[in-house]
Amino acid sequence: MEKILTKKSFPAWVKNLQSYTVYAPEKQENLWSYEVIQNPDKINLEYLNTVLAPKKITYPQREIFLQFNTSKEGKPQIKEVLPEEQPAVIFGVRPCDAKAITLTDKVFGEEPKDPYYWSRRNQTILVGLTCNPPPSPNCFCLSVGGSPHSKEGLDILMTDMGDKYHIDSLTKKGEKLIKAAENLFKPASPKDKKELEKIQRESEKKIKREIKDIKNIPDKLKDMFESPFWDEEAMSCIRCGICTYLCPTCYCFDITDELTSTLPLKGKRVRTWDTCQFPDFTMHSSGHNPRPDKASRLRQRILHKFQYHVENYQDYLCTGCGRCISLCPMGIDIIEILNKVRDYE
Amino acid sequence: MNENIYIPKLAKIIKIKEEVSGLRPIKTFRTQFVEKNGFSHQCGQCAMLSVLGKGESMISISSSPLEKDFLQFSILKMGRVTSALHETEVGEIIGIRGPYGNNFPIENWKGKNLIFIGGGIGLAPIWSVLHTALKKKEDYGKLTLIYGARTSKDLVFKEELEKLNKKMNVHLSVDVEEKDWKEYVGFVPQNVTDKKPSPDNSISITCGPPIMIKFVIKALEELGFKDKQIYTTVENKMKCGIGKCGRCNIGKHYICKDGPVYSWAELKTLPQEY
Repeated sequence: MEKILTKKSFPAWVKNLQSYTVYAPEKQENLWSYEVIQNPDKINLEYLNTVLAPKKITYPQREIFLQFNTSKEGKPQIKEVLPEEQPAVIFGVRPCDAKAITLTDKVFGEEPKDPYYWSRRNQTILVGLTCNPPPSPNCFCLSVGGSPHSKEGLDILMTDMGDKYHIDSLTKKGEKLIKAAENLFKPASPKDKKELEKIQRESEKKIKREIKDIKNIPDKLKDMFESPFWDEEAMSCIRCGICTYLCPTCYCFDITDELTSTLPLKGKRVRTWDTCQFPDFTMHSSGHNPRPDKASRLRQRILHKFQYHVENYQDYLCTGCGRCISLCPMGIDIIEILNKVRDYE
Repeated sequence: MNENIYIPKLAKIIKIKEEVSGLRPIKTFRTQFVEKNGFSHQCGQCAMLSVLGKGESMISISSSPLEKDFLQFSILKMGRVTSALHETEVGEIIGIRGPYGNNFPIENWKGKNLIFIGGGIGLAPIWSVLHTALKKKEDYGKLTLIYGARTSKDLVFKEELEKLNKKMNVHLSVDVEEKDWKEYVGFVPQNVTDKKPSPDNSISITCGPPIMIKFVIKALEELGFKDKQIYTTVENKMKCGIGKCGRCNIGKHYICKDGPVYSWAELKTLPQEY
């Protein structure tokens, strides 16, 4: 269902969504971040991209799995802590970040399903925004099967058309949001649709960076496992892990216990994001480490995204947002690496 | 929603046996689920053991699936969780979730000779399949165990090994010479070469440290074993047990669900990163 909403009416729409927790990009000390919106009049969709993807809402960096304590008789007790189910709407989701959520959906949706992930995810509505212009000079969504106006994973796609938004409702969840303030929306005219197509074509042209011949990359990587190439590429890495923490598709995690009291025993078991770029991610308690150096860990990051995930799920574990390139303190560039892989003999 | 996969079930420790003392101590624990919500397992599978407040650790189940009264784990004291387990006493409650991973395809091995080759604590995963084969001895051919450790003090299941001698061929070894040791002196792969198990109608099952596995496979190949006759288990650091947390992978395989049991024919096709 295609509709038109004037920019002036946008806050009124959000005001009608009181039963939801509303998130939108907010500028905090020069960095954009998805935050809970109290005042819809202050939502500003003229943003580039956020530092952290909206994955921080569907899959928070730290979450409690269970609480435990010991009874007076010394018997341990375990209490499951599932997140409170609260419907949420995220505005201003970039198509690459929405696609990324569909990728984690597959991992956490594979049997046995992850109950913590799904109790949040089932309640989350994603309202996307077409990227025109691209939010980063390092955007490369077109190379990995996406586009600046891709609908994949979204419930609604909004497109900025000057003084109004084109609103494409894509799912039942999306319809429900529009129904909350139906009188604010007008049907899109044939002229609007033409203008939309023009914006979409232009938005694609503005994506400048590209991974070349990506279809051959998975096989090429398979042959390059033992190559000294990885030592060279990883040379400048300072193992900060930012490439994975900021990645909208990275989902690896740790499970640890946190104590609040030792006598009586009281604490929680928590899940936190983890990264394949840290040495102790794979280090056995004996000290043996299957991925003992920066080269094997960089190789793991690239191969997981462009070989292993393709073999397991028939899709790249990368949506071309460019964050790992723009925000790497050492300038490690995944596009450059893969284009070198393509030409490697 | 189905049962929450991350919530451990409570289990009582009903027996603790000190197998090895000293700097690398090993204890064997028998556990029983507190409630009737336990699970049954297959040979070669693992379980995630919890000491609340310390965390979780993946341990292979050393009891046979035919043993219905308890689960058994033999644990080398190494990290935070295994150290905490070593401090527990009989009657204490721990958490267990699982079972995880694939299993030894023992149904396909009926009628074949089985050669078990273990090093150190590597006898634990073998113990489950060895005892299952022993209990159904009529289903299998000749059973042989080749097992070694650094010193005679580091051998696990010592008393059982003595009894086992009457039921199957047992060849023990220690790495370096010691007083009163009458069996083989040398590394496990050398003992394999020395004992020359025949590859005819045989399957070999090898568990132990990665370096030992590597040389045992070489020794077996020299004796004429084909890749499909060689089975081993791979271990990696694990957190979730269900192929999601991302750390135990070898290539596209997650050892916690696609492993830990591999034939050399399969393992060979994966990146050699373990």
